Amino acid sequence: MRIAFTANGKGVEVDARSDEMLLEVLRRDLGLTSVRATCGIGVCGACTALVDGEPISTCLLLAPLVEGRQVTTVEGLGGDDPVQRGFVEAHAFQCGYCTPGMILTAKRLLEESPRPSEEEIRLALAGNLCRCGCYVKIVDAVRGAAA
Amino acid sequence: MTDPRVTGAVRYAQDVELEGMLEARILRSPFPHARIGRVDTSAVPAGIVVLTPGDVADLGMYGAQIKDQTVLACDRARFAGDPVAAVAAATLREADEALALIDVEYEELDSVFDAVEACDQDAPLVHDRHNVSENDAAYFGIRPQQGTNVCHRFRLQQGDVEAGFAEAEVVVEETFRTAGAQHAHMEPHASVAQWQDGRLEVWTGTQTPFNLRSDLAGVFGIAEDQIRIVCPPMGGAFGAKTFVRLEAIVACLARKAGRPVRAILERNEEWLTLNRHPAEIRVRLGARADGTLLAKEVECWADTGAYADCGPGVAQKMGFAAPGPYRIPHVSVESRCVYTNLPPNGAFRGYGQMQTVWASERAMDMLAERLDADPLELRLQNLLQEGDRYATGEELHDVRFAECLEAAAAAIGWHESRQGKGLCVLMKGMQTPSRAGIAIEASDDGTYTLRCATAEMGQGARRAISLLAAELLEVDVARVRFPDPDTDLVPYDTRTTSSRSTYIMGRALVDAVRDLKENGRRGYGEVEIPGGLDPDTGQGVASHHWHQGAGAAEVRVDEETGKVEVLHLHAAVYAGRVVNRAGAELQNEGSMIMGLGTTLFETVDIADGQVTNANLSDYEIPSFMDVPIELTHDLLERDGADVHGLGETALPPVPPSVGNALGSLGIHVTDLPISAEAVLGAVDRRAGAREVPA
Amino acid sequence: MSEPAPEWLAPDTLAEALALKAEYGEEATVVAGGTFLAILLNQRFLAPQRFLSLRGVPELRGIEANGELRLGAMETHRAVELAPAVRESWPGLARAFALVASPRVRNQATVGGVLADADYASDPPAMLTALEARALVRSRDGEREIPLEELITGHYETSLRDDELIVGVRVPREERSTYRKFRSRSHEDRPCVGVAAALRGGSLRVVVGAVASRPQWFPEICGLADGEELDAVLAREIAERYARAVDPLADVRGSAAYRRRVIRVEVRRALEDLTQAEAA
Repeated sequence: MRIAFTANGKGVEVDARSDEMLLEVLRRDLGLTSVRATCGIGVCGACTALVDGEPISTCLLLAPLVEGRQVTTVEGLGGDDPVQRGFVEAHAFQCGYCTPGMILTAKRLLEESPRPSEEEIRLALAGNLCRCGCYVKIVDAVRGAAA
Repeated sequence: MTDPRVTGAVRYAQDVELEGMLEARILRSPFPHARIGRVDTSAVPAGIVVLTPGDVADLGMYGAQIKDQTVLACDRARFAGDPVAAVAAATLREADEALALIDVEYEELDSVFDAVEACDQDAPLVHDRHNVSENDAAYFGIRPQQGTNVCHRFRLQQGDVEAGFAEAEVVVEETFRTAGAQHAHMEPHASVAQWQDGRLEVWTGTQTPFNLRSDLAGVFGIAEDQIRIVCPPMGGAFGAKTFVRLEAIVACLARKAGRPVRAILERNEEWLTLNRHPAEIRVRLGARADGTLLAKEVECWADTGAYADCGPGVAQKMGFAAPGPYRIPHVSVESRCVYTNLPPNGAFRGYGQMQTVWASERAMDMLAERLDADPLELRLQNLLQEGDRYATGEELHDVRFAECLEAAAAAIGWHESRQGKGLCVLMKGMQTPSRAGIAIEASDDGTYTLRCATAEMGQGARRAISLLAAELLEVDVARVRFPDPDTDLVPYDTRTTSSRSTYIMGRALVDAVRDLKENGRRGYGEVEIPGGLDPDTGQGVASHHWHQGAGAAEVRVDEETGKVEVLHLHAAVYAGRVVNRAGAELQNEGSMIMGLGTTLFETVDIADGQVTNANLSDYEIPSFMDVPIELTHDLLERDGADVHGLGETALPPVPPSVGNALGSLGIHVTDLPISAEAVLGAVDRRAGAREVPA
Repeated sequence: MSEPAPEWLAPDTLAEALALKAEYGEEATVVAGGTFLAILLNQRFLAPQRFLSLRGVPELRGIEANGELRLGAMETHRAVELAPAVRESWPGLARAFALVASPRVRNQATVGGVLADADYASDPPAMLTALEARALVRSRDGEREIPLEELITGHYETSLRDDELIVGVRVPREERSTYRKFRSRSHEDRPCVGVAAALRGGSLRVVVGAVASRPQWFPEICGLADGEELDAVLAREIAERYARAVDPLADVRGSAAYRRRVIRVEVRRALEDLTQAEAA
């Protein structure tokens, strides 16, 4: 079926199956490989995108449900977003696989709460897993981005 | 200034795409042990490439240390999840649908799921014969016990252990167990293969390109230089992306298809591909009443699952780390690597040492309790000192155990109060013997390209090696390039494991830079580290140098539910010289956080030979909110010291630090993970013990 | 070559949605937020013939607080948790929704979905049962209200008929309530034991979730509190009786015996929360 939505500010129309997830569409049809398949059950956050500004697990979002909505991935942030800069400055990554999901989740947090406490940061990001264990420096990164 | 990790631009192995590529899926045995009968693929539509046991029966066997694997299970499936067929199709969906159309006849066989039981005389044999591999990864004396499930037995003897126990005034004896664990690297295993004019090319997330190339050469009966392995960055590995994983299946499919084929594992398949060795460890530790250690006897059973992989190496390291960093005149260790009908177990951050450090360091605290001694003082009294010989006979230099331990104790305020606090000290071996080469190519534009097999899995090795190169070349690090390792272009390297890369490549770089300065365009440097142990006596050189560390924890327990909260976790690690400070800190923090999962909740659950928690909800890994508010560490340095690897040292001290902290509250646990339920049981036992009149 | 994709039905009105549900019954797999459905699809446990998406149905939206609370079935967990009216007057309910999974899942999962899925380890059903909530259920034949304790009948089972859709939930005014989510492992774990407790008009409701196929409520045990002061002794008595009355299941989050121990502790603590709230 045809599905039309906005991806990183550009109108797109893709041909997808009704039982496919947004994750597959973003990777296969749009080449947005910063969204990454990991758990397949919405617990890890590696496939996070912002849908209408809110973080979503694209592995759990049926593609037709994105019709008419705005989707943002880190490819759409350009590279010089304050949150991206915060991550680079704090060295808040190792393998980098979970980093895009962390950045998008942190970005939304900072919109809601521009000066979050450490506890707020940890709670907001708690659903994003990092097996390399960069959590301490990710908290530093988000604080840095907020400053 | 920007980094591809924040823009999402990193291309991992799973992102590799070749023209005309097919997608592969694997059909797995539902039974833990079964004879494989007819494999009927007649219902699979034309155009889908199917690989069956018949296609691979004539290919060579492989195995990093024991040659016990075929590309697909041919005569017998040896674990529930053993690959028995594979398909490649234009889309994953078609491949999936095709899998369901393959019909396999199985005849179930008796199984064994416990390493200790598998050593019984009448236990079902997982393999009939054990042939030691010719792969470089079989670098030490491997001692298979033919006609049993033991594929390697390592022994270490020093002094006369029975005489030692006879002299001892206090003896503690306990059995400890550690659970299987899943690496849960976020990027799944992914491999792409294609054949070009009889030459095999593989893009794969691997820490061991040369060992992989060697095994694939054996499978296909071709020369190693007819195989090219390219290693894109990995989205985490932690030991799981070692040796042959999917590469042999993908290469066979690609050959049959005449097209490139890619396989990316589904998450649940990770639990069927490689986990960490569960272990049982029995410790007997004897001392004089004044605390002087006299004798230690350790027996280990490492459950390697259905295929050995590097299990013999893991069992060997379990064994040679078992004495611990103490002066003990009489030592006896026996460590076995045992087959069972479970998914294979292999390298995992901590590599065998986590298991014996857990047992040994819990036993030290039990001894302290029996002696009514301060666990810190008891350790300090017995620690190995500069110039001492370890139980293997090797002389130790640059010894920093006491410094690490005292730093850890100070970090948690040990001297103010010991309630709810625990300590641990450890030594961890590095891959020995070992060999590495590195080349540097100078370009006209003033940049330098490193040709180096060190694989990047997030550990920051490329950054550290580039910084070392820049320092030696006296140029800005921005002028040093480090492309993805490609076996066609890079010199031989043992592998990216055991926290050795920064150290050994750093040493090879010195020669490479000198060579470059003499020759202009290209410089080459190589380092070979000799050593090794006699597997029957444990004498020799276990580790060229030892990774030294200590841990400390402070906990709070909800004694009504058994829930443990780790308030403060500290690791003190001897770094020698820090090359990349942020990277070093990340390695320590990451090791500690991973260690916390091992300590409190990670376990591969098995029922009737089937993994029952193969997803990231039922198998949990630590999240932000599980990290102690105080997670601290020391990187101890010394002027003029060598670079020491840091990739793993801070993981093994976490479980015993937490276990000993619980012990300080009278809550005694012997098994990992320390579930809330187990803690509640220990609280009950403590109450029971208190009710018994003295 | 592949199996055909399921048909995607996307009605614009409730009447249209009910007509389609009546026509296709259980052959139309209802899509609300779609999170649970996606998990089943990703694991290939499900191959639906057609989807019935409720996303475009405006009648299923809305959070209205007017003495009682009415939540539209398509409102997300996140919307409920953040709605000022809910936070102010139904804080226990806001908290139970806020404790579900991650913000990502809560941005997607809906009120109707969590009830229709009837997953034993979800947090909101126990809380809604404690608050005496009623599901509003519609078919082409009309509307009925089902008390929560009668809606969820077993593991992933409800008393909904094939032609019915949940359109919303009615929650009476909350007086005092608490929700305790006990996780035995990671902070991100699903509950090992969830305890919802509410006092309304002097009547106590304690509901234990995640321990059996459906939320566990024992009116006769709660009745012990009728007209009594909920003191420490009574709290212990009720907790003890709950622990004995529940026949807990076992999963990776705890054995049956362990859950029984935790129920005793967490029910007592929940009742202490209620009385402390009263004292404060």
